[in-house]
Amino acid sequence: MSKKSGEEITRRKFVKVTGGGIAAAGLTSAFLFPTRALAQQKTLKIVQWSHFVPGYDKWFDNVFTKEWGAKHNTNVIVDHIAIGEINARAAAEVAAQKGHDLFMFLAPPAAYEKQVIDHREIVEHVKAKHGSPIELAVRSTYNPKTKKFFAFSDSFVPDPGNYRQDLWSQVGFPHGPDTWQDLLTGAKRIKDDPKLGNPCGLGLSQELDTNMATRACLWSFGGSEQDQNGNPSLSSKNTVEAVKFFRDLFKQTETAEVFSWDPSSNNRGILAGKLSYVQNAISVTRSAEKDNPEMSKQIQLRPALKGPVRRIASEHVMSCYVVWEFAENKEGAKQFLADLIDDFGNAFKGSEFYNFPCFPKTVPNLKEQLANDPKAVPANKYAVLGDAMNWSTNVGFPGYATAPIDEIFNTFVIPTMFAKAARDEMSPEDAVKAADAEVRRIFAKWK
Amino acid sequence: MIRRQRWLGPAMFMPAIVYIVALVGVPFVMAFLYSVSDAKVGSVSYHFVGLQNFVSILHNPAFRRALQNSFVFTITSQVLVLIGANILALSLKEAFPGRRFFRFLILLPWVAPVSIGSLGWKWILDSLYSVISWVLVRFHLVNQYDTPMWLGEPKLAMMSVILVHTWHMLPFATVILLAGLTAIPKDIPEAAAVDGAGFFRTTFQITIPMMLPIINVAVLFGAIFTFTDMTVIYILTRGGPYDTTQVIPTEAFFAGILGSDLAEGAAISIFLVPLLVIAAYFVLRSAHRAEVT
Repeated sequence: MSKKSGEEITRRKFVKVTGGGIAAAGLTSAFLFPTRALAQQKTLKIVQWSHFVPGYDKWFDNVFTKEWGAKHNTNVIVDHIAIGEINARAAAEVAAQKGHDLFMFLAPPAAYEKQVIDHREIVEHVKAKHGSPIELAVRSTYNPKTKKFFAFSDSFVPDPGNYRQDLWSQVGFPHGPDTWQDLLTGAKRIKDDPKLGNPCGLGLSQELDTNMATRACLWSFGGSEQDQNGNPSLSSKNTVEAVKFFRDLFKQTETAEVFSWDPSSNNRGILAGKLSYVQNAISVTRSAEKDNPEMSKQIQLRPALKGPVRRIASEHVMSCYVVWEFAENKEGAKQFLADLIDDFGNAFKGSEFYNFPCFPKTVPNLKEQLANDPKAVPANKYAVLGDAMNWSTNVGFPGYATAPIDEIFNTFVIPTMFAKAARDEMSPEDAVKAADAEVRRIFAKWK
Repeated sequence: MIRRQRWLGPAMFMPAIVYIVALVGVPFVMAFLYSVSDAKVGSVSYHFVGLQNFVSILHNPAFRRALQNSFVFTITSQVLVLIGANILALSLKEAFPGRRFFRFLILLPWVAPVSIGSLGWKWILDSLYSVISWVLVRFHLVNQYDTPMWLGEPKLAMMSVILVHTWHMLPFATVILLAGLTAIPKDIPEAAAVDGAGFFRTTFQITIPMMLPIINVAVLFGAIFTFTDMTVIYILTRGGPYDTTQVIPTEAFFAGILGSDLAEGAAISIFLVPLLVIAAYFVLRSAHRAEVT
C-alpha cells in the first residue's frame, strides 16, 4: 500500500489557508508600502486666517477637522495665513490655477466669481436642514445678476461700540452713547475734562476698522455707495451730512493719531486706558479679560449707534468660504462646509462668541449663552449682541456686495473721503464729490 | 577643444539668462499685456482694450498724487543717502580703533530684511508707544497729551518714510562709495596735501570728482530701487494718511491685488517704465565709465 504523500486538502482548509495568506499579504504590503495603503484616503486643503481668538483655531484644527477627517477618511490640511495676506494669496492661487480646495476670505470675494463653483448646492442643502441664512449672508455671497452664489458664508462678526463705562458715567452717559450725537457730546465732554482728557477712537486711516466705522456713520445718516439696485449713489445730501458730522467728531474729540492706525491700534489704545470709545469686534473685551481684568470691568459694549436715519453698522468680518473651480477635492470641500454648519454650536463656543451664525437656528440658545458668559463682568456684558443680526449689514448696503463695491472697500475710498474733510484738506462737499467720481470710475470699469 | 569652448561660454551664461527671462522678462511682458487688457483677478479670458487703463488712471487723483509722491520720496531719500554715504565713507576710510565693528554696525540695516526693519520702525513711530515721543516727553520738549503723530500727520509721515528708507539704503551706498574711495591712488591726495590743499579742498576738488562715476552708480541704483520698492511705505503707513504717502508701487498693489483690478494695477506699475529705462541707461553708462576709470 502506498503511503499518502500528504494530507488531503479539504475545501474548508483551502479557504482558511488562502484567506489567511491573502490577509497576511495585504497587511504586509500595507506595512511595507504605507502610501499605497492610504491611496484611498483623500486630501482636503483649507486656507484661512489666523483667528483673532486663538481658541477658535484650536477647536477648528484639533477637534473639528480631526473628527471630520477620520469620519470621511480624509487627510485635512489647514493652513493659516495673516489677515493682510489673504487677497495676495488668492490672486496667486488663481493665477497658478492650483492651491487649496477651500479658501476663506474675510470679505465678500465677488471679483473671483468666475473662478469659483456655484455654492448654491451647499446653501440649499444647509437651508433644508437648518433654515434660511440671514439676509446679511445672502447679500455678501450672492450675485443677483448671474444668480450665482460666489461664496458660502458660515459666520459673521458683529461690530459693536466698546466704551469705557467709568469715563462715560462721569459725563452723564452711564450706559454709553446710544446715538452718533451722544457719541459727539459725551466724547467731547470726556476729552475736554481736564481730569480725564481721553480722546475718542474711531479711525480715519486706510485699514479695516476705519472702513467699517465710516460706513456705519455714512449709512446711519442715510448715505451709501450704491442704491439697492447696484447703481452708484454716494453723492447725496445725506453723505455730506455724515462727512460733516465725522469732521466735527474728529476735531472735537480725537487726535491726529487716528490717521496712522492699523486694525489693532484702537484695540491697543483702549486697552492701554487712552481711548474712551472704539468700534470693534469683541476681540477688545476678550483681550481685556485675558490680559487686563481690571480694565475688562470698565470696557462695556453698545449696539450700533443710531443716526438721523437708522441704527446700523457693518459686519466687522464676513467669513466667506469659496471652492475654487480648479479645486482637486470639490465634493469633500462641499461636505466639509455642510458639516461645519451642523456643528456650528461648537464653533460659536470655540470662538468665544466672536463668530455669529449665518444660519441662526444652528445656535438656538444664542441669547441665553450671550447673557451668561463665564468670563464677562457683569455676566450679561455680551447680551447687547443678542440682536446684532438686526443692526448688522453687509458692505455694499443697501445693495449686494459686488466686485466694484469690493474694490471701493479695498482701496479705501470712503475712509479717504472722511479723512480729507476731517483735516480740512477738502470741504465736505468737495470730498464727497471727489469720492463719488472715484466710485463712478470704479463702477464703470466693472460693467 | 575649440568646439567645447564654443559651448562652455553660453552654457555658463545660461543660468543667468534663464533667471532674467523667468523672473524679470516674463513678468514684465505679462504686466505689459495686462495693462492693455481688461484683466481682473478672477478673469478667465483676455480682451485687448488699448490704452484705456492708462487714461483711467490719469483721471484718478490718488494715482496723480502717488506719482508726485514717488518723485518726492525718491529724490529726497537719494539726496540724503548721497550726503550720508559720503560722510560715512570718508569717516570709515581712516583707520581708528573699532573700525571693523563700526563698518559691521553700519551694514546691519542693509543685511536685515527690510520688512523686519520697517516693523521695528513702525513701533518706534507708533502713536501710543513711540520711544521717540517718550523721550521727548521725558525731557519736557512736548506735551504728554500732544505728542507728534509721526505717521498720522501728512508731512511728518512723509518725513518718516523717507528717513526710514534712507536708513535702509545708506549702507549700500556707503559700501559702494567706500570701495570707490579706497581705489583712489594715495599719491594724489598726498600730492595735493604737499601743495597745501586742506581737507575741504581735497574732498570737493579731488576726492568727489574722482568718485563721480561710482557715485552715479550708487545714486542711480538707489533711485531705481526706491522708485520700485513698496515695503517701507506699505508697512509704515499703507499710503496714508489719506493717500499722502502713496507711491506708484503701493498704488499698483492696492489697485491690482487688493482692488482685484489686475489691468489697472499693471498700468500703474509700468507707467514709469520709460523713465526707469532711461535711468537704467545712465546706470550702465556710468558703470562703464567707472570701469574705464
